[in-house]
Amino acid sequence: MNESTLFLIAFILYIIAAFFYFAFLFSKKDTLAKSGYTFAFTGLIVHSAALILRTIESGHAPFTNMYESLSFFAWSAIFAYVLIEGKFKIKKAGPYLMLIVIGLMALASSPLMPKEATPLVPALQSYWLWLHVSVTLLGEAFFAVGFITSIMYLVADSKEKKGQAGKSSLTAEKLDSISYRTIAIGFPLFTLGGLVFGMVWAYKAWGGYWSWDPKETWSLITWFVFALYLHTRIVMGWKGRRSAFIAIIGFLAALFTYFGVNYLLAGLHSYA
Amino acid sequence: MKSFLRLFSSVKLAIVLLIIITLASILGTLILQHRSPAEYADRYGDIANILIRLEITKLYQSLWFSSLLFLFAVNILVCTLSRLSPKLKKAFQPKFETEKKKLLSLKTKASFKKNQNLEKTRDDIQQTLSSKRYRLKTKEEENRVFLLARKRNLGLFGSDIVHLGLLIIILGGIISGWGGFRTNLNISEGESIPVPQADFHLRLDKFVTEYHPNGSVRDWKSTLTVLENGTDVLSKTIEVNHPLSYKGFVFYQSSYGWNWENPTLEIWAKKKNEPAFLEKMELGLGEKVKLGDENIEITVLNFVPDFIIGENNEIATRSLEPNNPAAFIEGWQDEEKVFSGWIFAKFPDFGRMHSDIETDLTFELKDLKAAQYSGIQMSRDPGANFIWVGCTLLMIGLCVAFFWPPREIKVILEESQNKTDVVAGGIATKNREDFQSEFDNVMESIRRLK
Repeated sequence: MNESTLFLIAFILYIIAAFFYFAFLFSKKDTLAKSGYTFAFTGLIVHSAALILRTIESGHAPFTNMYESLSFFAWSAIFAYVLIEGKFKIKKAGPYLMLIVIGLMALASSPLMPKEATPLVPALQSYWLWLHVSVTLLGEAFFAVGFITSIMYLVADSKEKKGQAGKSSLTAEKLDSISYRTIAIGFPLFTLGGLVFGMVWAYKAWGGYWSWDPKETWSLITWFVFALYLHTRIVMGWKGRRSAFIAIIGFLAALFTYFGVNYLLAGLHSYA
Repeated sequence: MKSFLRLFSSVKLAIVLLIIITLASILGTLILQHRSPAEYADRYGDIANILIRLEITKLYQSLWFSSLLFLFAVNILVCTLSRLSPKLKKAFQPKFETEKKKLLSLKTKASFKKNQNLEKTRDDIQQTLSSKRYRLKTKEEENRVFLLARKRNLGLFGSDIVHLGLLIIILGGIISGWGGFRTNLNISEGESIPVPQADFHLRLDKFVTEYHPNGSVRDWKSTLTVLENGTDVLSKTIEVNHPLSYKGFVFYQSSYGWNWENPTLEIWAKKKNEPAFLEKMELGLGEKVKLGDENIEITVLNFVPDFIIGENNEIATRSLEPNNPAAFIEGWQDEEKVFSGWIFAKFPDFGRMHSDIETDLTFELKDLKAAQYSGIQMSRDPGANFIWVGCTLLMIGLCVAFFWPPREIKVILEESQNKTDVVAGGIATKNREDFQSEFDNVMESIRRLK
């Protein structure tokens, strides 16, 4: 069993999980959501095995090119979802999150992404690669969950206002609070991994902790957007729609930091 | 002064500044930074001049962007300080609640009667709350007891610690920008050079490049020695990600290259009609070497590491990498030039001699040796330590703010006819659901205690 086979099995398990989750969404049968969760969880375990195998085969952290980092991001998103689902019971978010995960896995498997593990350029040979990338992507995975619950909030809110809300226990108010608490986990992780570890590593490798490289700048912009989210919410008491919009913009900024910068703007982070 | 304080203690100003700084940062990633005026004119046409004049072409170092950051820092400072004293009062001079009505108006509350006297009830509540790690204060009156139970008081100050961390980071940034110094040093093996802005020398003892099996570079290693007044003080082998620090200066492995000014070339001379003939020569630029027993002297006039014919048919080098090394050699006989031409290390059959005399000599550029130099980036960054202190505070503050929420339970006990009325209310600013369930558990166990 090699890494790419395990990756494919995990991908298939995620697709099956998505089917069950969407069936649950339309039929409202809880058992379907449970099956979806089981498949997603099994997928997560197989996916973990794939990542570990990749690490052993290549001898370095499994996020040094776009294929690896997409795969790891998908893994983080499922991981964050499993944690949040365990705490807040938000199975309705399952189908949408599975869609994002499948999108990431599909992108990772696309022929555009070179898959072979290449030896690392000297600058990447550092344990800071592990710390910087894994913690950052984990933080962004929580932003992804917050993004989905924020969109669900907007939908639930407009339904409730029109008086079309179902009997679901997942009210708009609860979704709003879950979004906040997800971001409250993602924000410290992103700060630590993306900004702090990034600065330490840059200082160790290049002799400067900050150089306004586009990727650095965009991670700071992402951080500013979530700082805005927290301050408008905690100090000015913004809740609901406006909060949800900022959370959505924040995740889009994180996504741009992750993908967009690589393809649209040039800079030091040219490898991944 | 008062209106200044009022303006800068406003969170609205902070939010406006944050939005402006964010938009400016985005602009800086869309417009290429630090390019030549010609490149801007080429790329942006008529608006290039405006971009340059507004310093958008060096946005992050511009006066207006720095001023925005400075205003933001002042804003953070004033906002934090102006909110600090009420928080300190709350933390160190807490107030008992004496009105039941106020407790009952809270979201988290409980009210019940116990069939026991005041002292017993008070002791029960104190014990239960202490077991949940609440710290208690009591105030007793005739027939009444007021209780104040609190935990995780530090959580009140999470955001203040974050803000302090940010201010120290900004201060570190200012110090770095003002007192920082960065430059590149190219040192060849065996060479020692004075370190700019410092009172010591640096010598490169050894430089090696390590390769992966597929030929790509794995690492560069430079063995550096620090010299003080001519004596060795410290030696360390640096590599990428593992710099050398000395007296506030840090030396990083950043690149490598060859010193092509004076390479040593190995040239083989052969004869077409005489397979046994082979003459090996080693020579540097400009050096004349006699070719065996022949009455010919060979000299190398020019050398390029990466041969290319430029626009005006000039010979040039495409890069400083030895991708296509080529040497221009001449043959001299009795003070007279008899042939000349380019020879190529990678394309031995390509070399052609332009010759005035009949000769069947051919030449091959077999090997070349040039001193490699190690590219070392040196920097002195007096702001860096502020950044690490600031980052540590930032992370501690974030963890405290998000995962250490303060909790407060206030209780009023009133005795009448040997029974005690219990009214309790709870206050938590974050994680209310968890607090609610803890509060309910506590009240339930108090109710059950006999």
